[in-house]
Amino acid sequence: MSGDEMNPAAVAQAVEDIQGDDRWMSQHTRFVQECKDAEPEVLFIGDSMVQLMQQYEIWRELFSPLHALNFGIGGDTTCNVLWRLQNGELDNIGPKVTVVWVGTNNHEHSAEQVAGGILAIAQLLTSRLPKTKVVVLGLLARGEWPNPLREKNVAVNSFLRSWLPRLGHTQFLDVGAGFVHSDETISTRDMFDFLHLTAAGYRAIAKPLIDLLLQILEETPEEKRASLV
Amino acid sequence: MSSGDSNPAATPTPCVDIQGDGRWMSLHNHFVSNSKDKEPDVLFVGDSLVQLLHQFEVWRELFSPLHALNFGVGGDETQHVLWRLSNGELAHISPKVVVLWVGTHNHGHTAEQICGGIMAIVQLIKDKLPKAYTLVLGVLPRGKMPNPLRERNAQVNKLVKDAVSSLPHASLLNVDPGFVHSDGSISHQDLYDFLHLTPQGYQAVCQPLHAHLKGLLEKQAEN
Repeated sequence: MSGDEMNPAAVAQAVEDIQGDDRWMSQHTRFVQECKDAEPEVLFIGDSMVQLMQQYEIWRELFSPLHALNFGIGGDTTCNVLWRLQNGELDNIGPKVTVVWVGTNNHEHSAEQVAGGILAIAQLLTSRLPKTKVVVLGLLARGEWPNPLREKNVAVNSFLRSWLPRLGHTQFLDVGAGFVHSDETISTRDMFDFLHLTAAGYRAIAKPLIDLLLQILEETPEEKRASLV
Repeated sequence: MSSGDSNPAATPTPCVDIQGDGRWMSLHNHFVSNSKDKEPDVLFVGDSLVQLLHQFEVWRELFSPLHALNFGVGGDETQHVLWRLSNGELAHISPKVVVLWVGTHNHGHTAEQICGGIMAIVQLIKDKLPKAYTLVLGVLPRGKMPNPLRERNAQVNKLVKDAVSSLPHASLLNVDPGFVHSDGSISHQDLYDFLHLTPQGYQAVCQPLHAHLKGLLEKQAEN
């Protein structure tokens, strides 16, 4: 298994401000501040796939009512997410569910390393938030046509499918069904740049995700029920 | 400022596929073939600020009715847009107005070079579409607090404004509705990552842009 120091994808690392406007740190700081004020039942953490979701109507319709927080940052790798979680983004909160979606930007790492990095994130979450259930979303296909990154993401998902069940309180959810058509292409109707989801693309993944979240939230006894839309 | 090999921001350059999934070229090819059966009156071209605009309701509300096409590609710098427009994206269409929004991703280039890149695009559009009007949108401020990129972007806008002032077929429109607050900060409610616009941010930018565009289209119709 992995998730140890030998795996570069499991080493926490902040993003360096190369461009000059310090946006990554500004976003991280804002999330740490949010932890002080909010009491989320659901926490989303990851890269632009997570971040962009909050800009579409679907977030307000389906996820806000669940008292969800969105800690996505575009471009993030498993290393960056690990760093953020270790440096304040889990302080003072106790979400019942944490959704992890990251890995597609880990260009320097092999599929096995990426899966190890995601595993390390899941391990960190279950140790820091003993009451949380972790849901790891599978990496989506990308690129208009078959290409090495599609194969890599499939391999990452394959590792996750076998490793995650061995961790308690953690499960894997594949939300990628249907994006690759029978001619092996991906449509810009689903991914406007063959990577990021359109509103329609997010609707497609939201269905299985919301079903699972509601199931987990209902399993957890609580006085305050999340309102359903 | 002239274009040429001395200015990398003004030298047509395709994006190299470093990641391995060919997405940039796929998008370019899509734009070229898409344009074969469309007759847009307005063409939006540029980077992620343009591309993301296409994903939100505001596009359908304000720009679809103007028969607009969107050729935005995330991450594009001026030299990438220059290459795309030189290699087929203008070949099959005759929009009356081209809205150009690019420059913020030109890291490693000076404000002068970025201006040169933008002006090279303006010249290219004039060459390929002699009757079109080019509306250059000012590059927005970025980052949560004041920083060198804000200064650079402001300088780009100033230089471009000067450069187009003598041109009858182009102008610069400042679309910043006042994103920078009195304490120098930008809100994540307007720029969710202090660079890209939220739907709310787009509304603030696009309402005046839409009004300006309608005015331009009416003028073009009179000519």
